[in-house]
Amino acid sequence: MTEHGAARRPDHLSAVPAPPADVGDLLRAVARGDEQAFTRLYDLVAPRVYGLIRRVLRDPAQAEEVAQEVLVEVWRTAARFDAAKGSATSWVFTIAHRRAVDRVRSEQASADRTMKAGAAAMDTPYDEVADEVSGRLERQQVRHCLDDLTELQREAVTLAYYKGHSYREVADLLGAPLPTVKTRMRDGLIRLRDCLGVEVPA
Amino acid sequence: MTSDDVHSLVGAYVLDAVDDDERASFEQHVAGCASCRAELAELRETAGRMADSTWSIPPPRLRAEVMGAIRRTRQLPPADGGRPASEVVSLRPAARLRRWPVAAAAALILSAGTGAGVWAVQEHRLEEQSRIAAAAAQREARVQAILSASDVVMKSGAVRGGGTVTVASSASHSAAVVLMGAVTPPAKDRAFQLWAVHDTTMTDAGVLAAGAGSAVQIVEGLPGSDALGVTLEPAGGSAEPSLPPVAEISLT
Repeated sequence: MTEHGAARRPDHLSAVPAPPADVGDLLRAVARGDEQAFTRLYDLVAPRVYGLIRRVLRDPAQAEEVAQEVLVEVWRTAARFDAAKGSATSWVFTIAHRRAVDRVRSEQASADRTMKAGAAAMDTPYDEVADEVSGRLERQQVRHCLDDLTELQREAVTLAYYKGHSYREVADLLGAPLPTVKTRMRDGLIRLRDCLGVEVPA
Repeated sequence: MTSDDVHSLVGAYVLDAVDDDERASFEQHVAGCASCRAELAELRETAGRMADSTWSIPPPRLRAEVMGAIRRTRQLPPADGGRPASEVVSLRPAARLRRWPVAAAAALILSAGTGAGVWAVQEHRLEEQSRIAAAAAQREARVQAILSASDVVMKSGAVRGGGTVTVASSASHSAAVVLMGAVTPPAKDRAFQLWAVHDTTMTDAGVLAAGAGSAVQIVEGLPGSDALGVTLEPAGGSAEPSLPPVAEISLT
């Protein structure tokens, strides 16, 4: 390695990254066609968008494809985001989750999965490690709050959200009546809301 | 379905666990029910928080692909037809006209080139990909071995500017896996560099790719060090760390 570090030092100090901006502010700038704001938005939400989709689809190659669709959709429809209906973050994840579930339910999914298996092999280091690490840390508030639900509530909510099952499939899987599953999804989410302290500005 | 039946779907609706008919009935129901909209907003926010625990680093090329795609994607105007997005749209037709001859020329070149030459390039690329895949598989095996070692110790700390760096070190493998996840990646001509800290000396422990904010890096020989330091350097790294570091994770 060459000896050029010391001379450039003052330069590096001025290159310290700016503090992260608010997702809502960035989204409003994106709605005006600001590509730089989109880059920052990407860095803030992409790991969770990709992680969520990958969790639902269980296939890194497909997850990458759907994540790209979702992030481009965020760019395309940014002007339609309405802060009165919820936060910018939840708007983004609503799009991501819906797209992932649509993909799970499409018949095309299994065929694609086989086609992409080769490409998937190359991505595993990043993905697997990130999962392994986050799995071991177990420090997320969400996990803690999910542990607080009754078993049926937790199963109903997580089978639907993380695995993309419909409530009918969840009822089958759990051997529980349909109305019970609907109710457990609702009261499970309410309990989770209270544990996480979720608030929506009126 | 009665109104109560429809309303009880709010949880399943938020979790995308309903079919298309149920989704339509629910959305119709909500349109005429203010208190439902409040509950819907809160539960949707709650479901969104469940994404927090799914954090996973996307392959680095996704960023370039998405940035390329948005440059080709026209934005929708606001639902009420307000100004901001329509200004962007109005710039497009002229730009597109100017680009047309270039696109036409590119199309000609492509159609002329779909012969043996293109195939050879493609074959070469496939060979290269399998070589990369083999190297990646080997690296992955090493990473998995370190992470699943019985003596693995996990430490993590904040990155200045946002994000987390996590170090999983195993003394029995005499190596550590460093998972870098900075919110703001360095500029294209800069890179994060890792350093093994012993007392007051800092030894080079590898440079991440230029412009990369997230990466998984194996650092041989890290266990036994006092700390792992991360600095921001010119692309390719420096001989001496630029202080202060953007992150420092104590390993003791």
